[in-house]
Parts: sequence; C-alpha cells; structure tokens
Amino acid sequence: MMLFQSMFSPPTAPFRHSLSGYLAPCLAVCLAFAAATSSAGSRIVGTGGVSAIEGAAGGGLSPWAVLTSTASEQEIGVTAAATRAWVDDYRLTVTGASLNVYDRIEVSVARQTLDLDTLGGELGQDIYGAKVRLLGDVLYHPWGIWSVGMQHKQLIDGTIPTALGADKTSGTDVYLSASKLLFSAVAGRNVLLNATLRNTNANQGGLLGFGGEQRSRSWMAEGSVGVFITPQWVVGAEYRQKPDNLIVAKEDDWQSLYNAYFFNKHLSLTGAWLNLGDIAGLPSQRGGYLSLQAAF
Amino acid sequence: MSFPHKYNRTHRGLIAVIFATIAITLAGCTHQSATQSTTLYERLGGQGTIDTVVENLLYRIADDLEVVVFFANTNIDLFAESLASQLCDVSDGPCRYEGPPMGRAHQHMGLTDAHFNRLVEHLDAAMQAQGIALGARNELLGRLAPMYADVMRLQ
Ligand code: HEM
Ligand code: HEM
Repeated sequence: MMLFQSMFSPPTAPFRHSLSGYLAPCLAVCLAFAAATSSAGSRIVGTGGVSAIEGAAGGGLSPWAVLTSTASEQEIGVTAAATRAWVDDYRLTVTGASLNVYDRIEVSVARQTLDLDTLGGELGQDIYGAKVRLLGDVLYHPWGIWSVGMQHKQLIDGTIPTALGADKTSGTDVYLSASKLLFSAVAGRNVLLNATLRNTNANQGGLLGFGGEQRSRSWMAEGSVGVFITPQWVVGAEYRQKPDNLIVAKEDDWQSLYNAYFFNKHLSLTGAWLNLGDIAGLPSQRGGYLSLQAAF
Repeated sequence: MSFPHKYNRTHRGLIAVIFATIAITLAGCTHQSATQSTTLYERLGGQGTIDTVVENLLYRIADDLEVVVFFANTNIDLFAESLASQLCDVSDGPCRYEGPPMGRAHQHMGLTDAHFNRLVEHLDAAMQAQGIALGARNELLGRLAPMYADVMRLQ
C-alpha cells in the first residue's frame, strides 16, 4: 500500500477534469507511437485484456484475473488508458495507468469523473488498485489463471454522496477472479471466460460513496464471455452485480456488450454498449463507451 | 452472500444469454472432435503442409536471438522430423510420435514463460504463412497448450 501510494502520488486537485480528459488520450497516443519502437512483453496479444473503469486489467466493467499488458516472467509492462462513457444523464471519464511486474503483481491508479449532465455538477474518485496472480495461466493451465485484488477508492468531494445517505467517503473492495481461454470452442474461435467475486461497500462503484442505510458490505458476482473473432478482435458481454445500499437512490446491476480491437501489443480500442440501470434517482441509463489503451 | 431481488426482464434476459453462450461453448468444446468429419490433420493440409510449417518455423527460430540459443547443440534435421511427427500425431494424422516425452526433451534448458510464448507466436505465424485457416490453427494450439506443464516440468 504505502509503496505504490508513494510511487503514484495521487493527483492533488488543481488539474481540471476537462483538461485531463483531452490530455490523457493525447498522452496515450504519443506514448503508443513511442512504444512502437520498444519491445512489448512476450505474452500473446490480447491476453492482458483492456483497462476496466477502475484501472485494473479486465473488460470494461469488471476486472479479470489476467494482469495488465503482455509482460511475462522477468518482464515489466506499463499501460495507460483513457475511457469515456456516455449514458442518458451522465458522462463518465476515466484516466488510468497500471504496472505489471513479472506477470505476478499488478498495481494501478485511476481517476474517475462523473459529469452530472442533467442534475448539474460532478462527482469524482481516485482508485488505487493491486492484483496478485495466485496461480496458472489464461492459455496454458487447465484451471486458467486465478488472481486476488483490491481497490482502495477515495472520493474527491463527499458532499453529494453523504447527503444521499452514504456512510463513508472512502472504501476498499477486495476480489477473487478467474479467467480461462477455451481454444477453438465456438466455430473454431477461441472463447474467453471470466468470473469475479467481489466484496464491496461501494455505491455505484464508489462514485456515490460507501455503505448506506440498507446494508454495508456484501459479496457481488461479475462475469463475462468473449469470443475472439480473430486473434486481434474480441466481442462479448459483461455482467456486474451491484449492491443497493442507499434508500433514496436505487442501484441496478450493470451490463455491457463489448468489442475490443488489439491493433498490436501496444494499442487497443474498446467500444461497448452499456446498460447501467438506475443511477442516483434517474432511471434506465443506457449509452456508449469508448476506451483507448496504450501498453509498453 | 445475498442476491437482491431486483432483476427486471432485460437483466434476466442478458444473464440467460450469457449462460446459454457458456453452455453452448462448453458443449461445443467436448463435441467438436466427435462431430467433425475431417481430422484436424486434414484441415491443417496433411503432411506436406505440416512439413512446410516446421521448415518455416525453423527459419523464424533461427532469426530469433533469444530462442535460437537453445538449439545451439541440436541436430536440426532430427528435430524437424521429430516435431513434424508430433504435430501429425497430435492432429490425429497417420503418425506416431516416438521421440522422448516432453519433460525429458526440454529438461534443464532454463526455459521461461517468455520463451514458451515466443515459440507459440512463431508457430502460429508459420501456420498463418502457409494459409492454414484460423479454426485449424486455434485447434492445434489448443492441443499443444496443455503440454506446457510437461515442457516446463524439469526446468
Ligand atoms: C533450415 C534452415 C537453416 C539453414 C539453411 C541454416 C543455415 C545455417 C548456416 C549456413 C549457418 C552458419 C554455419 C557456420 O557458421 O558454419 C548456421 C548456423 C547456425 N544455425 Fe542454422 N540454419 C537453418 C536453421 C536453423 C535453425 C532452425 C536453428 C535453430 C533452431 C539454427 C541454429 C543455428 C545455430 C545455433 C548456428 C550457429 C552454429 C554455430 O555457432 O556454430 N539454424 N545455420
Ligand atoms: C508445446 C510446446 C512444445 C512442443 C510441443 C515441443 C516439441 C518438441 C519436440 C517434439 C522435440 C523433439 C524431441 C526429440 O525428438 O528429441 C523438441 C525438442 C526441442 N525443443 Fe521443444 N517443444 C515445445 C516447446 C519448446 C520451447 C518453448 C522451446 C524453447 C524456446 C523448445 C526448445 C526445444 C529444443 C532446443 C529442442 C531440441 C532438444 C535437443 O537438442 O535434443 N521447445 N521439442
């Protein structure tokens, strides 16, 4: 904890979100070009997933057991990602970075900003994550890969979440995750399965604070299926069960249909269709999602 | 562990789709070789194509400084023949691999996951260069992947 908090000192407020929103993709592209000359990790393209909205390697909504980038034994990998999601009444921006050491440990940081287009104002949080590969490999091990992870989340301004009934302005999720690639499973295509079990007190992932009148911590299940149409292009669906802690703001499970393209080991683009259900009193939030990740 | 009673129709629908996909997937897995009328060997293009894949792979290995070192004392002709017979055997072709078990063939080489991954990439690239279809490539890789444990056992 201490180690990576001091490595990535949390961005102290003054940088404006609108600015960071444009800076991050620009930075990612510049770094990607710089990286094209450097060597990537040796793991097979796509086996690092993409960057999930909380910074860890995964799909869009949920972390997977795989570790970020394509770094393997004795290799180090770094990724940077910029993500934007638009649903009916909100806009979420995420910028994040993650580090993979020897395909054993992953640490990540992410800043989420939720623009309340309809209600006015914005919510934000910083997320510091760590994931450890316990055993296996997504391709070669009969049980796939198994990892445990944690995500410490800190709201930037807790006023609105506290007013809605949240207990706390920071919280920590822990999760156990397993992923496995089935070779040639559907029409000769490889299929990626993932399941994650998360213990959390976060409301809407933490953007609406932590805990509430109805419950504090609970176990939530998350899962995804993806089909590699080609070795570089995966199409699939994700599901993330959510708690429902706040009386005034009903919370629903999240789901997505996603589509990720790996241009090479250095650059991927993910597009998704989201159905996030009710958020902070506004019903049935649906929309689109785009995420660009650069890896070195 | 608690599951909130709040799934609406769409939710249930999507969950059902996901699980149906998994089920079909798993069924497809076990079914694939049974229902396929042609063997993987035939879909790979038979012995001729397997031999050219092995030759193509050799050139890729020779150009990869991190991998070629392992072959410094290897009789390349025997290796090529042995690997081709193994690929033929693994793909249900009319051969029997009679070389040493994978553990012994690779013992004490000091192989890491990185070397293993590189060889997988070279093999897939070699198959692609011979125009082998994605389905057959994936299936061959899927049959070789479980050998990881044996190849790496005595490192
Ligand atoms: C089939 C195509 C190949 C051809 C035509 C070929 C040809 C050659 C030639 C002409 C040399 C130089 C010999 C010398 O310096 O006296 C050489 C050296 C070498 N080749 Fe190959 N080679 C082939 C495949 C391979 C493969 C597949 C490997 C390894 C898997 C390999 C490993 C080596 C090594 C390690 C040396 C250096 C030997 C030494 O240090 O004396 N070669 N090869
Ligand atoms: C699933 C993966 C692999 C399979 C199926 C495989 C298969 C084989 C086979 C059939 C042989 C011939 C054994 C004999 O007849 O003596 C062999 C030998 C060899 N393999 Fe592999 N191999 C794999 C992975 C690797 C990797 C990752 C490396 C290193 C990068 C490697 C390096 C070698 C070398 C150097 C030899 C020659 C050993 C000698 O000189 O006797 N193999 N392999």
